[in-house]
Amino acid sequence: MENLEVLSPVAKVVEHSVKPAARLRDLGEATIGLYWNMKAGGDAALDRTEQLLRARFPGARFKRYTGSVGWLMRHCTAEDADRIASEVHAVVGTTND
Amino acid sequence: MVELERRGIPTVIFTAQAFVHDARRSAQSFGLAGLPLAVVPTPLTNQRPEDIHRMAEEAFDQIVGGLTRPVEAFAGGDRPPAEERLAYDGANLLEAWDSMNRDFLARGWSDGFPLVAPTDRAVETMLQNAARDGGEIIATLEPGFGVATVEKLAINAVMAGCGPEHLPLLIAAVRCLAEPKMYLRNKAMSTGPHAPLVLVNGPKGRAANLNAGMCALGPGAPSASNTVLGRAVRLTMMNVGHTYVGVSDMDTIGSPLKYSLCCAENETASPWAPYHVTRGYAREASTVTVHFVYGICELHDFRSTRPEDLIQVFATAVTNVAQVGTGLWLIGRRADPRYKTEEREHNTLFVCPEHAQIFAREGWDRARIQEALYKAARLPFRTLMLNKEPKAREAAHPELGWLADHPDLPLPVVEEPGCFDIAVVGGAAGRGAYFYGAGEPVTMPVEG
Repeated sequence: MENLEVLSPVAKVVEHSVKPAARLRDLGEATIGLYWNMKAGGDAALDRTEQLLRARFPGARFKRYTGSVGWLMRHCTAEDADRIASEVHAVVGTTND
Repeated sequence: MVELERRGIPTVIFTAQAFVHDARRSAQSFGLAGLPLAVVPTPLTNQRPEDIHRMAEEAFDQIVGGLTRPVEAFAGGDRPPAEERLAYDGANLLEAWDSMNRDFLARGWSDGFPLVAPTDRAVETMLQNAARDGGEIIATLEPGFGVATVEKLAINAVMAGCGPEHLPLLIAAVRCLAEPKMYLRNKAMSTGPHAPLVLVNGPKGRAANLNAGMCALGPGAPSASNTVLGRAVRLTMMNVGHTYVGVSDMDTIGSPLKYSLCCAENETASPWAPYHVTRGYAREASTVTVHFVYGICELHDFRSTRPEDLIQVFATAVTNVAQVGTGLWLIGRRADPRYKTEEREHNTLFVCPEHAQIFAREGWDRARIQEALYKAARLPFRTLMLNKEPKAREAAHPELGWLADHPDLPLPVVEEPGCFDIAVVGGAAGRGAYFYGAGEPVTMPVEG
């Protein structure tokens, strides 16, 4: 029996940690941000989401956002994130596929 | 979304079922593996509004729950294996090596071809030439924020079949990948077939036997050095950058260019200064340039003898609106908001020596070719916008709203003439190559 010992090619990673935001008790009086990164179809999903949220939470308000930089996908800058965070209580996004 | 959570705003994000692992891994990399998702059966792209509305209705409880229920720690997070050494048994070393290859493939560490065993001895030999400490950190590679030590690069270089002469070139390529302007995260994880085109200039490429001539991007003995260096870049993206198919590389179809895509410039056959001189380096310097590209189109022309005619032929390759970068400037620039970088969409031309001589004979330099191609390669506004989001055009260029009233106006397909990068590559015969690029190339010097 022969033994072949080799070195792992896999690199260690730099770990990051972010504490999740506290969730809202209910959405009845919330201002909800609807973030679209301009990938096709995301706006339609947010349109329907807004309709459904309005129907269930009549007191909720809505604000629409997209990122200030980008191309096929428009991204949120730190300044965009600061602004959104100052204007809404929660965000629904379409940024992935 | 993680950045909003960091600012105390609860979020939930639509994610297609096939991208859940990708979204979880991405959120984990940014520090919040449990980021709430509203999972829908398919991507929202290419869907009819009524189908998207139905998916939103079905995901509605997930949306409300994501914003109101406490976020639970996600137990299924991926972590790199802790072991630094692995052992394989067999009746003989060949069997043990086969076992290693099968295990590496199962773990996702292989590109699918047999790997050279990264034994202590092989890695030590690789490092001896580098005159660097194995623990030296060259960069942190996205999307997984993997720590690219010299030793890890050496291990992946051994696996790819590289010799010690390739390691300094690989290190330079990794520095290219890690440049903020490269926006590696986007190119590594995308649904598009982004392949790193590695172009080597200068004496260290020649010393490493990189092929710049016949079949420089093809298989066979003359390009063996090209093949293993390009392969090492891919394996490094996987095992150091943690770019794994189906997890953090969501390429829809893929591309054979992603296995290995590397060559040197044919500086001796070029009538112009070497490519790296155009990038600001001294002629005697050695450099590596990495430009992510989507695909390749042949620039075939045996008939033309005048530069103007060649340009007309080249322009037909450039005006391909099905290629994502064509006219992309109309809807903005590739941008990484973390580093405030912006990229114009560049494309790389490998002009074959025979075509280069036709240009040079008439006194054309690179700048004149770039200018002529910029003027020749135009498409009507309406054609360029066929596959682009009109609202993105409005956001990127509100001053161009008047184009809607002039749909047949021909527009350039790239932002400026400098978006064509030109190198001389190949053997005899009038056949060049056009690479549809993704963003801008990055060049780094080869050290050591």
